Order: sequence, then C-alpha cells, then structure tokens
Amino acid sequence: MLFNSIDFAIFMPIVFLLYWFVFNKNLRIQNLFLIAVSYFFYACWDWRFLSLILISSVVDFLVGKKLSNETKKQNRTYLLLTSLFVNLGVLGFFKYYNFFINSFQEVFMFFGSEFHVSTLKIILPVGISFYTFQTLSYTIDVYKNRISVTKNPVSFFAFVSFFPQLVAGPIERASNLLPQFEKTRIMNYANGVNGLRLILLGLFKKMVIADNCAKVVNELFEYYPEHSGSTLLFGAFFFAFQIYGDFSGYTDIAIGCSKLLGFDLMQNFKMPYLSRNLGEFWRRWHISLSTWFRDYVYIPLGGSRVSKTRIIRNILVVFLLSGLWHGANWTFIIWGLIHALCFLPLILFDKNKKFNNIPDENRILPSFKTCSQILITFLIVVFAWIFFRAETLFHALQYLNGIFDETLFSMPQVSKELTLLLTAYMSIEWFQRKKEHVLDIDFINYRPIRIVIYYLVLFCIVYYSGNTQPFIYFQF
Amino acid sequence: MKKLLKYIILFLSPIVLIIIGIEIFYRTVPTNYSFKHQEILKHRDSIEVLIFGDSHAMYGINPKYLDKKAFNLANLSQTIYFDKLLFQSYVDQLPNLECIIIPMEYTTMSQADNTEEDIWRKYFYNAQMGLNVPIIKWYNPKKYSLALSQKMVRTVKALNTWRQTNTLVNCDNNGWGLGYNSSVDSSDVHRLAKVISRKHDDAKYDISQNLERVKSIVKVCKKKNINVILVNLPVTNQYFNLLVQDEVIEILKQSYILNAQNKHVKNLNLVQDPRFYLEDFQDVDHLNRNGAKKCSVILDDFIKDF
Repeated sequence: MLFNSIDFAIFMPIVFLLYWFVFNKNLRIQNLFLIAVSYFFYACWDWRFLSLILISSVVDFLVGKKLSNETKKQNRTYLLLTSLFVNLGVLGFFKYYNFFINSFQEVFMFFGSEFHVSTLKIILPVGISFYTFQTLSYTIDVYKNRISVTKNPVSFFAFVSFFPQLVAGPIERASNLLPQFEKTRIMNYANGVNGLRLILLGLFKKMVIADNCAKVVNELFEYYPEHSGSTLLFGAFFFAFQIYGDFSGYTDIAIGCSKLLGFDLMQNFKMPYLSRNLGEFWRRWHISLSTWFRDYVYIPLGGSRVSKTRIIRNILVVFLLSGLWHGANWTFIIWGLIHALCFLPLILFDKNKKFNNIPDENRILPSFKTCSQILITFLIVVFAWIFFRAETLFHALQYLNGIFDETLFSMPQVSKELTLLLTAYMSIEWFQRKKEHVLDIDFINYRPIRIVIYYLVLFCIVYYSGNTQPFIYFQF
Repeated sequence: MKKLLKYIILFLSPIVLIIIGIEIFYRTVPTNYSFKHQEILKHRDSIEVLIFGDSHAMYGINPKYLDKKAFNLANLSQTIYFDKLLFQSYVDQLPNLECIIIPMEYTTMSQADNTEEDIWRKYFYNAQMGLNVPIIKWYNPKKYSLALSQKMVRTVKALNTWRQTNTLVNCDNNGWGLGYNSSVDSSDVHRLAKVISRKHDDAKYDISQNLERVKSIVKVCKKKNINVILVNLPVTNQYFNLLVQDEVIEILKQSYILNAQNKHVKNLNLVQDPRFYLEDFQDVDHLNRNGAKKCSVILDDFIKDF
C-alpha cells in the first residue's frame, strides 16, 4: 500500500476515525489496534514477511527483558549478541547473501580458481533494513543502560511495527518513540494541521518532483550514449531531486500521519541541498540513519577522540557500512567511499561542525560565498549520486565519461518546465529555511491565503503528477 | 478535534464535488468501450468476422472493405489478456461468427499483465464492457469509480475533446478507428522510429504467456467451428529494423507453427509486405486510411481463400 495511492487515502481516514473515536478509551486497546493496522499495512506488501517482523519483535522484547534482570557483564553481552545475530542474520540473508556469494565467486575467478555455491532467488522484504535497525537500537540502548526496559509487549510490538514509518523510516530510537506508546496520546488542532500540511508536502515532493524527475532520469541513465554531456549532467541533477523528493516526501507523509495519530517522529530531512559542506549535508540528510551510525558505530569505535589514523578508519567504516546498508551492490559502497573521502578532510581539520546555523540567517538572498559553498557541496553530492543510481560501476563510469566530454558546455536538452519547477521549489526552500518545512506557513495570518496555497499544492499534485514510481527507499 | 474535522470536511468538499462531477461525466458520455459494447450487441446476429488487437488493428483493419459483416473490437493499447476476455465474453453471443482475426504483434505478444498499458483501461473494460477482469480485486476502490481510475490530466484532455467534438468515441459503427488521411513525414521517420521502437521495447522477450492465451482462443474456436486468422500487421521498415529481432522472429515463428498445426488457423504475414509504402502509414507503426483500405482488401481476399 503506497502512501500516494487511493488505497492509502481510504485506509488512513478509517484508521484515524477508529483510532480516535472507537479505540480511544483504553491505551492498551488503542495500541493493539495500531499493531493490527500496522500488520495489515505490511501484509498488503507481502504477508509472508510479517513473520520476520514478529521474530524481530519477540527476540528483542525477550532479550530486553532478560537484560533488565541480568547483572553479569558476560551474560549481558551474550544476550546482546543473540539479538545482533538474529537481526543481522535475517537482514544479511535476505539482503546480502547473493551479493557476497557473487563477490566471492568473482574474487576466486580472479585468482584462477572456482567457488561453487549457488545464489538463491530471494525476495527482499520491504523495509527490512529500517525496522531491523530500529529494534537493534532498543536492545543496544537497554544493554548500555541508556533506556529502561519495557515490560509491556503491546507497546513494544506497536513500536516495532508502527505503520507510518515501518517500511522507509525515519529509523526511530526507542528513547523517543517507545515512551509515546506508553502514555495517552492527545490530539490538538495545531498538531493535526501540521500533520496534514506535511502529508500534502510529502505528496507534492513524491508525485510532482520525484515522479516527474524519474521519467527523465530513467531515460537518460538508460540511453546515456545518445545524450550530450550537459544533458547527462542535468540528468544527474534530476536524480538528486528525484531521490530527495522521493525519500523526504515519504518521510514527510510518515511524520504527518504519525502526528494525526498523536505521535512525534524525529525530523529526517532539513532541506539538505542548502548545505554548505558535506558535514552539514549529513546533519540534514537521512538524519535518522546518520545519527544511528554515529551513535552505534562511530562513537563505539572511538569517534573523533582517537588518533588520526583511527579517525580515518572510523569514518571509512561508517560510510562504507552506510553504503552497504543501502543495497548489496558495489555502486552503493563506492557511493559511501566518495562521501567518506570528501568528509575526511572536514573531520581531520575540524571543519565538520562549522555550519550549525541557518545559512545567511539575516539576509533575504544568499551571499556569493554561501551560493558557492552550497553549489560545491551539491556538486559533490550529485557526483556521488551517479554511482548510487547506476546499475553497475561500469555503468556509472560510462555515464561520467559521457558527462565529461566536449559536449559538456553545449545547451542541455532537458525539460524546461521541470528545470523551472525545481528552481522554484529550491527558491521556496531558501525562503523557508528557518522553518521546519516548506509548508510551515503559520506566519501568513490571513487564513484564506493559506487555504489558497493548500489548494494550489493539491492542484499541482493532482494535475502535474508524473507516472507513479515505486519509492526508491523501499528497496533498502 | 471537532474543529480539525470540520475544517478537513470543508476543505475536501469541493474536491468531492469535482470527483462526483467527473464520475457522472464518465458514466454518461460514451467512450470507445461503451460504444463498441453497444454496437457489437446491436449487430450480434449479423457479425461474421470479429477483429481483435491494439491500435494497429483498430486503425489498420476497416470492416467496411470486408465482404462478410465484420466488427472491429480492437482498441488502443489492448493487450492479448483483454483480447481473450473479450473473446470469452462475446463468442457465445454471436451466433453467426465464422472467423476471428487476431494480430500477433510485437507490441502485445510480450506484454505483461497489469502494466502501464492497463493501468486505467482495465476499469473501463470492467465498467463499460461488462468484463469480469480478474486483475481487478473486489476491494480496489477504482473498480467502483472511473473518476478515481484516471489521472486528472487525462480527464481534462477528455473533457476538452468532448467540449470540442461533442464525443469521446473515435471509431465508426463497425468499430474501425477513425485514423488519419495524412502520411508520416518521411524526413522525421527515422527519429520517430527510434522513439516508438524504444517505447515498445519492454525488455521482456518472453511471449509464452500471451502465446498460451492465443492458443486457448484457437482451441475454443476449433470447438465452435470458427476460423482463426493470425495476422502480422504491416509496419514501416525504419521501425521494423529497430525492433528486437529475436522477438520478432519468435512471434512470426509461433504464428507459422499455429498455422501448420491447426486446420482452422491461417497466418497472414504482412509485416514487411512490399505492397505497403511509407505513404500508407500515419506514423511508423499505424496505417492511415489508405493503408487500412489496402490492408483490409488483402485480408478480405485471404478470408475468401480460407
């Protein structure tokens, strides 16, 4: 059930009404209802994989419970390892089995010998990387005594399977989301309006920006030899907006739906293409994943408070893992490596946290310096996206080769309307950069104007939406 | 909460009204689907030849030039999946049916089910031709609302067409598509061939599923004493040369095999027939009115020789 489908447009209001008007008498029943609708939501993709969510939930709930009674460090470590083994084992099998078998075969072939293990026809369960990381965060936090264990299985199962963020995040922390299942939720007007605005914005980003970009991007990446360098460069730009619209659009809808149910999810995107360096980019892009890796991989490895050699190692590990998290393909690993290599100088020269403020906060238009910083960061990100989008490394290199030829400075053959749309959207993001999101328009006091804006956005969604494309991040 | 619900309802009211308006539009204004359904039932006792297929057949075979009473049931982007459903739906309602024409096309033989081609059309087959379409599940809301099945941009186009021409039907009483008199621009034909052949390349060269459907139609026809003509319709050479040749050869081979294995089946291969020139095409893969006349006359001779 896609967020941008008629099915969901029917599902969500029914859930909303039952949730607030039928099951609101008792918290436990309300949570049970959430589990039921979340499982139904997931079953619409593939009911067979519900068992994996169930296994993850049962294992982590029991491990958490045991951890709370266990004081011996060795036993606690065994319990944590059990959770890691089960969760990462399932993830590894479904997502990486074929990749590693193929890679081993290639390595063996390179050295002139053979490696005889066949690959399997495995269907990747939707959202497996997201909910696996979410449940793992719970067990690790309980192990580290950062949070107290939950004794309530209903709350825990609802936390793992919460449908708005089940299949593509944000990857929530137990410390933020789990307590919200254990207290009565209340609905207030402002929260409801903000939720609806986020849903509207998310649909716009997905259906107008991402789906329209997808059409051009698919054509250009498939038939790259037939296009000029400048057109291919624009193709890469469009992919940057496709993936942004696609993923942040999904997240906006997820956060919006959660708000309608009385939950607050973490912000996952903060207008990332306004970043002035790569450090800022990673504080604005897929925040829930980058902070996950920071807290559960980077800091345990020593973070930045170790020798320079170990910092380099830590950064490489985090970004390579991040690449591998996205998919079992060398293209994702190279994508991670590019980010690592461009990020390293910032860490080594302590420039990582240079930009923690809003860009040109007191100016209306950006300064030349800010513009240059944003553009350079964007170009680095786009360069890495080419590897992310390509089918193979060879494909990515060929695409890059196509960009950097004598036709790079020719007139690009791309849709003017789409270019204009993206320019307009980025301009609005710039003017709204101090706000939580683009449709945060409370500063417009006159209500009819706000309503006209909502209708305009809705009109664009209905009229200018491209052909429906699957959400890119579902494959992760 | 009450305030929020009140504003949501107020905000959505105009949208609901628009959807109701569009629904009324689609339910009352005849389309190719409702029109063909109505016409075939009107002439059910006289129809002797029934033509299936996609736009190539809809524009390319004009029943007017066939001696026997024929009806063209082909439609835009009609897949073999729907050819079979239509055949099953109408075959017992046409007592004098002697022959059916099934195009074995590059565009349809490897076509998967429930793809972009059927994404909204399947609801029209269901609602306006009374077909029971298994790929539409009972819980799919679009089954009950044609307004929801269409993209707004398509609906606006349909409204404009209806406003300008007062109809959405673009076929005559025999179901033949009212194509163009004009010919494809010879200076643009190579570019067009490239674009269209790419559009038609679905990268799925497996024709087995649709071949099975054709075979099942052939089998039923044998029982009912109906002859089958498997026709490979003409296309421009420029377009033909850009198609995946393995798939083309497989389609032609299977047409020939069916012809050889069944006495009531004959194959007519017009794909690169020298009798068709560039002037006979309205674009790279659709015949224009003159081309359709030529093709229909050839088919008529072929039916007579059966």
